[in-house]
Amino acid sequence: MSHSAEAVRQQLVELLPRLRRFARSLAKSPHDADDLVQLAVERALVRLDQWRPGSRLDSWMFGIIRNAWIDETRSRRRRDSVFEPEEAGEHVADAASEAHIHRLSVEAALARLPGEQREVVALVLIEGLAYKEAAAVLDVPIGTVTSRLARGREALEALLGGREGGVP
Amino acid sequence: MSIPEERLMAYADGEVDAAERAAIEAAMKADPALARRVEQHRALRARLGGAFNAVLDEPVPDRLLSAVRNAPTTTDGDASVTDLGRARAARADAAADSARKRSKWTGAQWAAIAASLVVGAIIGHFALQSSELGPIAQRDGHLVAQASLEQALSTQLASEQSDSGPVHIGVSFKNKGGEYCRTFVVQQGASAISALSGLACRQGGAWDVRTLARASVSAGSEGGYRPAGSELPPSVRAALEDQIDGEPLDATSEAQARTNGWH
Repeated sequence: MSHSAEAVRQQLVELLPRLRRFARSLAKSPHDADDLVQLAVERALVRLDQWRPGSRLDSWMFGIIRNAWIDETRSRRRRDSVFEPEEAGEHVADAASEAHIHRLSVEAALARLPGEQREVVALVLIEGLAYKEAAAVLDVPIGTVTSRLARGREALEALLGGREGGVP
Repeated sequence: MSIPEERLMAYADGEVDAAERAAIEAAMKADPALARRVEQHRALRARLGGAFNAVLDEPVPDRLLSAVRNAPTTTDGDASVTDLGRARAARADAAADSARKRSKWTGAQWAAIAASLVVGAIIGHFALQSSELGPIAQRDGHLVAQASLEQALSTQLASEQSDSGPVHIGVSFKNKGGEYCRTFVVQQGASAISALSGLACRQGGAWDVRTLARASVSAGSEGGYRPAGSELPPSVRAALEDQIDGEPLDATSEAQARTNGWH
């Protein structure tokens, strides 16, 4: 075993709690989230020669988790389109009507965002990445991060019924 | 002056340069509605953190640790790593292993979630478990400190506290919205082995509990309730790091803040 691979494994052990948090913000269940992390770890180690030592390992791992999640969402959508067509798409339901039916948990509200908003919200507002870093993970321009984040935030604030989700 | 919502959000996230920051701060002074919107954007960020940081306190499942330690790498020089069949078999083993353990760790996980989130579940948990004089109460959909916790947050200085009280104050600081906040560990109930750690901020004359997690308590210490090594649970530390504006208060400014009633 090479020295550098061993060093990366050690860093990955330390990163696991954050990788699990990121996956949890994307996946539908805690178990699915850990599946994503496991798959991403396996993929990362097999492709270790693609990682540039000195660059951020967390950002690289976030990108791999996110791609694994997109793959999984696509294949799930194909399966669901056969059995459960009504669940095939994820849409932000009419936010206003949703909010007054019942107060949503933060997790449930986040799960209602379209994927491209959810991943930006997760990277910036939960993982604390700078806009520039999130843009690099997602391979999109920084302006795209800013606008998706704005739409995601507005949808969340609408779903959660304003600050702290307080009773009006 | 009209400022696009995107720029207010960028300001709340610390993503603007000095010139834009000055312009936005001037506009916020002139228009309290702008300041409220910035505060709303920050509150959402804190709330997302409060919900998801709980994951950091959970034990990492063995199957993930095992994947990190044992999954093959290209740099191992091991030809079999490209053998998909073998990789799949390893994955199936890990899956079977995790399936055996799942029922066990899901229990721990739900306990962590129930103890960590400032949501209905924990409010219900408290309503059931604590008497009227428990350390935390629900008020208007918020969790607020009461009784010994409120007392300690208002009066106890981190620099001058005994190890034997029911509450231990960790760090006092100002958050990005200008509120005073403090981390704490409070003994839960009569049993010394159960403790909660959290972060509370002074708002509207009360201590608003923004983050709450079960604290791991060092075993064997008699009557001890402080978390092992006085470390905050990762979720509370993450909330602190995300919300703090600058440095924690030193002993002098902490005493000063107490004198001024945490305003």
